[in-house]
Amino acid sequence: MDQTHASSPLAGAVHDLATEVVLALRSGDHLATVCGAAGIDEENRTGIAAVRVIGADLLLPSVLYGRHPHPGDVAVLDRAVREFPPKPDAPAATAWSHWHMISTLQRMAPPAPGAAAPGTDAEPDAAWLEEAPWQAFTHQLSVLAPLAVPAAPSAVQRAAANRAVDLSRGFVRAVRRRDWLQAAGAGRWLAAIGGEPATLGLERGLDFVEQMGGHDPRVTLHVRAARLMAEARAR
Amino acid sequence: MTTTATEDPRERPGAGHPARDRVSTPGASGSSGTSGAPAASGAALAVLPGVLASALAWTDAHRTRFALPDDVLEPHTQVNATLKPLGELAQLGSTIRRATAPGTPEHELAGDLVTYAWEQLHEGALLLELLRAEPFAAYPYEIYAAFAGYGLRHEGFEALARPLTATRAWAHTEQHANRQLGLVNSERRVGVLTHTDAGGVLSRTWLGGLSEPWMFEGPSGYALTHTVFHLTDWGRMPDRVPERIDGYLRTWLPAWADGCLESGQWDLTGELLAVAASLPGPAPGELLDAVWPVLADVQHPTGCVPETGAPVQDPAPDPYPFIDCYHSTLVTAFAAALSLRSLRGTGERGETGGAPPGRERHTP
Amino acid sequence: MFTTDTTATDVELDLDAALNPGEVEGLYRDSRECAYLALLAGGGALLLSPPTPRPKKG
Repeated sequence: MDQTHASSPLAGAVHDLATEVVLALRSGDHLATVCGAAGIDEENRTGIAAVRVIGADLLLPSVLYGRHPHPGDVAVLDRAVREFPPKPDAPAATAWSHWHMISTLQRMAPPAPGAAAPGTDAEPDAAWLEEAPWQAFTHQLSVLAPLAVPAAPSAVQRAAANRAVDLSRGFVRAVRRRDWLQAAGAGRWLAAIGGEPATLGLERGLDFVEQMGGHDPRVTLHVRAARLMAEARAR
Repeated sequence: MTTTATEDPRERPGAGHPARDRVSTPGASGSSGTSGAPAASGAALAVLPGVLASALAWTDAHRTRFALPDDVLEPHTQVNATLKPLGELAQLGSTIRRATAPGTPEHELAGDLVTYAWEQLHEGALLLELLRAEPFAAYPYEIYAAFAGYGLRHEGFEALARPLTATRAWAHTEQHANRQLGLVNSERRVGVLTHTDAGGVLSRTWLGGLSEPWMFEGPSGYALTHTVFHLTDWGRMPDRVPERIDGYLRTWLPAWADGCLESGQWDLTGELLAVAASLPGPAPGELLDAVWPVLADVQHPTGCVPETGAPVQDPAPDPYPFIDCYHSTLVTAFAAALSLRSLRGTGERGETGGAPPGRERHTP
Repeated sequence: MFTTDTTATDVELDLDAALNPGEVEGLYRDSRECAYLALLAGGGALLLSPPTPRPKKG
C-alpha cells in the first residue's frame, strides 16, 4: 500500500482503492476484483471503511461497461453497507451515499431468491439540496459524485438535472479555486446529466482538471467516468 | 454531450459570500458560520445609495490628490501616477453624472469632479502641450476623449490630433484588442471616423471569443471588463452588447465574482459589478444582491475601498495609501451608480451635452 | 476480528470526515506578465486601465 503521501491509513486505503478502480475503468477488463487488487478483504476494517468512502463507485467499471460485477467486490460492498450505516445524526450526504450503495447492489447484484436482501431504504431528504446556494450545491453534489451514473434515478440526480447551469458555475468556481476534486465531481455530474452551457468547454476543462489534479486517483476516477458517460451520450 | 445552445438571459442565483464552508446541509459539520442562504432580494438596493454617496464623498475629500504636479509634462514624470488617475476621475465622474438624476447630491458632486479635472488640464490646453511633446502617443487622445464625450472640448487639441488619427500608423497601432476598442470608443466620442470596425475588434477579445469561463483570472478579467466598458461607452449604451455576449456574461459573472470576493480582489469585483449593470435588459438582480453587500462591508467608513486584500478595521481616516485605493474607490462609485440605474430600471438619457450616439462609422 | 492495528475509533472518525469533507481552501494565483513582453505591448499609460501593478508591502 502506497501511503507515502496519505494523511491517515484510511486515506491511503482510499487512494489505493481509487487507483484500482481507475485501472479497471481504463482496461475495461473487470474480471479481476478491484478489492482484491487493492488488498482489501472482508476482514480488513480500514479497507472496508475505504470501500465505504469510494461507495458504489467500487462497481463503477461494471456499471459503465454493463458487465456483471465480481462477487468478491459485491461481498465487500455489501459488508461496507452493513458495517458503516449512517448514524441518526449523519449529514444528508452520508445518508445519500449509503442509500446509493444499497440501490446499486440491488441493481447490479440482486440477491438470490430467498436470500436476505439489504434493507431497502426510502430515499433520504433532498429538499435542502434544491434550496442550497449554487456554491454549496456544487460542493455537495461533488461529494455525491458516485450518484452520477446512467440509469440510476434519484432525487439528487433530478436536482442536478434541474440546476445544470448552477453546477457549471460551480465547476468554474472549483477550477478557479484549484479544487480539482470538486471540479472533477461537478464535471462528472455535467457529463451524466448534460445541459451545461455550450460555452463551458467541459471536455477540455476535464482534460485540464485531470492533468492538474490527477495525482489524486479520485480525480482521475471522476474524469474517466465523465468521459465514458459523455462518449455513451454521444453515441 | 447535450448542451444548452444559448444561455438564458434571465439571471440565475447569484454569488454568495466568500466563506469556505457555506454548506447548510442538515447535520453538516465544519460550517464556518457564514450564512449559506441566498441573498435577500433588495439587498443591493439597501446598501447602494450609501456606498455611492460615501465613495463620492471620499473622492471629493481627496480631490487635491488627483491634482497634477508642476512637472507633469517632464519626461521623467510617471504618467501612471498623475495623468492616469486624473483621466479616470474624469471618465468615471462623467459616467456617474450621467447615471444619476439631476438635482441629487451625487449628480452635482460628480459634475464638480469632472470640472475640477478639466481645470487641472487648463481646459484642455495642457493636453495640447502633452500632445505636442508626444504626438505619436495614443494616451493623450484617450484622456481627451473622456472629456470630449462629456462635451468639454479644445479646438487646438483636435486640430493637431486630426491629421495624426487619420494616418495608417494610427490605424495600425499595435496593442491589445480590448484597448483598441478603447481607441475606437475615443474616436466615436471625438466624432471622427473610427479607424476600424468595432465588431471585428470585439471578436478578437477574450470576451468576444466566448472564452472557456474556467480560464478566468485577473488579467483576463480586466481585459473582459474593459472590453465591455469600451463597447458600451462606460455603461452608457448597454444595447451595444451583442446577445450572445449578454447571455455569456449573465451565465458566468456569478462564478467569477465569487472568486474575486473569496480572493479579496475588490477592484475587479467592482468592475465586474459595473459590467453586470451594463447589460441590456433586466438587471441581474440576484448577482447584484449577492455581491454588493459584501463589497459594502469592505468599504471603509470614510468611503474608500482597498484594491485587494483584507480590509483594515481602523476607523481612522486614510487607512490606505492613496495609490492603493483611489482606483477601486472610483470603480465602486461608478459601479454603484450603474447598478442603481439598472435596478431602478431608469435608463439614463444624456443631459450634459454628450455627443449623440449616432451610427458607427469606420474607414473603408 | 479485524486484522488491523488501527483502532476502530480512529477509523470511524476518519471515515466521518472522509464522507463529509468541507471545502478545501481556495488557492488563487494570477498569471504574471513578463516585463519584456509588456514593453513590446506599448509603453504608454493605459487610460482607465487596471490599477498599475506595484510591489505590495508585507
